[in-house]
Amino acid sequence: MALNEALKEFSIEGKAALVIGAELPLGAAAAQVLAEAGANVVLASQEPGTGDVLKDLNKKIAALGRKTEVKIQSAVTRADLSACVDLTVKQLGALDIAINAMDVPFFAAAEGTDDTAFERVIENNFRTVWMACQEAGRAMVQHGGGVIVNITSIMAERGVPNAAVYAAAQAAVLSLTRSLALEWARKGVRVNAIEMGWVEDERSPAVKDEEFGQTLVKYLPEQRLLKPEELGGALLYLVSPAAAYVTGQSVAIDGGLLCRV
Amino acid sequence: MILDSLKLDGKVAIITGAGRGLGRAMAVRFAQAGADVVAAARTLSELEQTAEQVKPTGRKCLIAQTDVTRSDQVNAMAGAAIKEFGHIDILINNAGGYHKGMGKPLHELTDDEWREGIDTNLTGQFYCCRAVVSQMLKQQSGKIINIASGWGLRGGKNVFAYACAKGAVLQLTRSLAITYAKKNIYINCIVPGIFEGAAQFFQGGKFIPLGRIGRDAELGPLALFLASDASNHLNGAFITIDGGGLAGGITPTGVFPRQTD
Repeated sequence: MALNEALKEFSIEGKAALVIGAELPLGAAAAQVLAEAGANVVLASQEPGTGDVLKDLNKKIAALGRKTEVKIQSAVTRADLSACVDLTVKQLGALDIAINAMDVPFFAAAEGTDDTAFERVIENNFRTVWMACQEAGRAMVQHGGGVIVNITSIMAERGVPNAAVYAAAQAAVLSLTRSLALEWARKGVRVNAIEMGWVEDERSPAVKDEEFGQTLVKYLPEQRLLKPEELGGALLYLVSPAAAYVTGQSVAIDGGLLCRV
Repeated sequence: MILDSLKLDGKVAIITGAGRGLGRAMAVRFAQAGADVVAAARTLSELEQTAEQVKPTGRKCLIAQTDVTRSDQVNAMAGAAIKEFGHIDILINNAGGYHKGMGKPLHELTDDEWREGIDTNLTGQFYCCRAVVSQMLKQQSGKIINIASGWGLRGGKNVFAYACAKGAVLQLTRSLAITYAKKNIYINCIVPGIFEGAAQFFQGGKFIPLGRIGRDAELGPLALFLASDASNHLNGAFITIDGGGLAGGITPTGVFPRQTD
């Protein structure tokens, strides 16, 4: 497809992308957008039992004429994340783009959150992102560059009751993004984040908890939840050459919620 | 498809400061992306050159000689745009920048220098927003892109009126975003770091994490993204394009603390 002259910097034709958390709504939307814009994609899941979801996504991407691979791992361990990177390099010839979309929501009162829960929340939402950045970054530095986008939440910016640890993990991902961006700025690796607002996701209290969800939606500037695919434009901007001068930054997609008092 | 959502076919874009540099580059790019443009600036001869450059794209370019610090002229410009095209879909508040007194310490700044800084960099953006919003409300659609600055977020030595005005542009963006969120009007903000126009003051930009000053051409794709449907539901968002500068700032660039024992 010949690209309009005005859009040329947005092309990622033939780039090799890895999406971790591709079984989740935002990760799946990210993979779809990357493929639409021309990338080949490895779809990685951190959960066993997500094979069917990924197979469907795999079919959709293959139908676009892109190369795609599926990797389902039994646990989030460094070896698995490292294997994702290796698989991408082996099957797609490089690792140009890495998207970290892993996310396991956790909402509970602080008094009732035990140490095991704490460790699990940090493990699922922060430690895995750190390890994935490290593994992807290592490969990218070695091969002369790449782009990482960490998908986090607007909870990184504001307090949320019953989400002390989960929100702190989101903030940790944002902080990680900034420091890694500075560390790798002159090694050709850009690191940015997307902060999503409240998304239509059956695991989110905005959907699962009817009473909370109804009150929340009335409070939102657009009075509706975001659809996962609404992260697409910003994601493509950040991973493409269009954003060559953007690193260590986050883009909030929240319909204006962070502007509220 | 995601790349199609970046096109501007059938849209009308007002670009202020379109007589030179970045504004002219945006006018040409927006026309390449399919938009008719309204080029506004103070100097007619420069606008004519912009129109010449738009011509090969086959899109229309309406020239509107405008001093954005004069509300009567801004209103007349918006009126001319509506008369010519019948709608206004995009406003790029690009006019602004250097003003008399910039670089002076506070105790030497005159009343006129202060007012010129505020008028050029804040009031002009307010006038332009006000002039297009009523039309956008009628249409129930529109995109406004304000241009702030890294100095809108951080302080600068002897940068008073400019920093205050740019900081206020961020606040103007937030309140506009909240006010019109349900009307399908999206207001976002570009936060540029150091670009070519100011290059002579910044010694090649070695202090910038990416190691260089931004190229004017790098702002075009970001403006295009924010003007297009690809950015729908980004509202009140600030996108910083600064080579990583604002991600850090509490240590000197390129100096890494040594490993702890």
